[in-house]
Amino acid sequence: MSKKIFNPWEGILIIFLVFLAVMPRFIDPYWVVFLLLLFMYIGIGASFNITAGYLGYVNLGHYVFFGISAYGFSILYVKGVPFILCLATGVLVTLIFATLISYPFLRLKGAYFALANFGLIKLFELVAGSLRDFTGGTQGISLKPGYRAFETYYIFLGVTLLTVLVCYWIPRSKFGLALFSVREDEEVAAAFGIDVTKYKMSAYVLSALFPALLGGVYAWYSAFIDPEVVFGTDKALLPVTMVMMGGTGTFLGPIIGAIFMMLIEELLWTSGWLPIWIKSLHLTMLGLILAAVGIFSPGGLVTLSPFEKFFTWVGLGRFLGASHKSLKLDGT
Amino acid sequence: MLTPTILIQLVLAGVLQGGTYALAAFGLSLVFCIADVLNITHGEFLMLGGLVTYLLFALTGLNPFLILIIVIPVFVLIGAGYQKVFIKPILNRPPRQLLFSSIVVTVGIATAIEDTTSFIWGPTVKGVSYSMPAFNVGGVVVSSLRLSILVLIIALTIFLHFYLKKSFAGKAIRAILQNREGAMVVGINVPRIVTLVFGIAIGLAGTAGLFYVLLFTIGPFIGLPLTIRYIAIVMLGGSGSLIGSLVGGLILGVAETFAGFFLGAHWSLAVAFCTLVLVLLLKPQGLFKHV
Repeated sequence: MSKKIFNPWEGILIIFLVFLAVMPRFIDPYWVVFLLLLFMYIGIGASFNITAGYLGYVNLGHYVFFGISAYGFSILYVKGVPFILCLATGVLVTLIFATLISYPFLRLKGAYFALANFGLIKLFELVAGSLRDFTGGTQGISLKPGYRAFETYYIFLGVTLLTVLVCYWIPRSKFGLALFSVREDEEVAAAFGIDVTKYKMSAYVLSALFPALLGGVYAWYSAFIDPEVVFGTDKALLPVTMVMMGGTGTFLGPIIGAIFMMLIEELLWTSGWLPIWIKSLHLTMLGLILAAVGIFSPGGLVTLSPFEKFFTWVGLGRFLGASHKSLKLDGT
Repeated sequence: MLTPTILIQLVLAGVLQGGTYALAAFGLSLVFCIADVLNITHGEFLMLGGLVTYLLFALTGLNPFLILIIVIPVFVLIGAGYQKVFIKPILNRPPRQLLFSSIVVTVGIATAIEDTTSFIWGPTVKGVSYSMPAFNVGGVVVSSLRLSILVLIIALTIFLHFYLKKSFAGKAIRAILQNREGAMVVGINVPRIVTLVFGIAIGLAGTAGLFYVLLFTIGPFIGLPLTIRYIAIVMLGGSGSLIGSLVGGLILGVAETFAGFFLGAHWSLAVAFCTLVLVLLLKPQGLFKHV
């Protein structure tokens, strides 16, 4: 793709990134943590989108990669191994695990695949809670505490940018074309000479890389993990619901979904005007919002006409993506 | 240490557990086949069935098997209503969108049910302490409560089998399984049958919940892990097959009981999972075909 004309949005994007890079020095630490978590969810959501949106395999247990890496990192880190080595091991273990599990799992179709992965996360919660000598059981692992919000902010910003760039690159590459054709029809794709198994497995492993990176660093940042924190069902479902709310298979979907959900969570938790019983039912509210999105807006928020119009108007219409259009082709 | 009596006890316990699994799993399997909806809420309805039983038992002290007569119609109606309100609007979407939407909607409802239940009744586990005399057959202790549950499960399964084979609605369900368009052509009211199937499925889940609360204890968070077990059973047995759900449920129940005995109760879900992976590697289509 050749671009000769200067696009003002690229300039604004660069200014925005510089702004994000210097911001933590000037704002309240509370918002630094808020942004850091937002980056984390965008990263996990965007990588979830690689399998769910581009490949068409909904991986409900995507968060499991985050957890495995977090555990791998922490187990080594408490033994005094340097940070980089711990992170590398955590990520490597996760990638090996993803490669091994991808073969039997990708033989499953649709809903079966989704729930098998969901089972995986439950299984890991149990295993991490049961192997007391190795993972600390349900008590979890405590690392040496320290205030690491700023370092984590930059690492998460970097990883998330990387994820977003990869997600931007995939639909424009041959790799992405192969994924889309697998998504639309596996048999036809195979008949056209695409090595379906290879592409499916590499997409799965690629999508495991980013949560693995985030997971290790998250363990370092929070200085404490237990099965509930990294394998809990509500945690596991949150990024998935964010993506589905934003819009699966689109470039902007995970980002918008994450921002939207974080804002809602923030409003539900910190607002003073809501009665206390609504706050204690905030998971119920979340569930009902989710069901409403599923019923009334199947393509997620980005397909709602106000959003679509707004993004087309500011010149970001191309980010709504060809992939999202072909999702609509399903019905024909 | 594994004497024959212990072995028989374990197999009996496993068969019993497998029976309750199979009942609920068959409902899930049927819904999945007929409506293409992955109903993650299924386990929550089992939990609600157990809860209703617990409440009725605590309030009235009725014989739990009489409560069954109340639970079944109530949950059939709940199931039909659930389908009308939440599932019907998404049913006509193209396949992949239907999958996405069904996950989003049912996960949302499941979260809401779980959270509301734990908010109202608290996170404590509950069980119905209803006991019946046990008797001794050649050294094997058989609780008559468990035995009567087993008999009831078998009776329900036989009833379901004949319902699917002989009644008009059962024939319609099988026709839709074989060929949806063909079924429409010969004048089967497919939307109504889908509602009926949801009713049957949730009714079965509620019934399984009643048995569950008699045998084990229930808490607000048992729903999702159970749903995962059911999906493992459905995959094991092949979707839409009564005999498949039964065999899958029994395999899983016995395997879990043995794992619980030899390794510790924590590992039962791990066993379910490993069985699943094994089956996926060997026979990805499941063991049995449609009904």
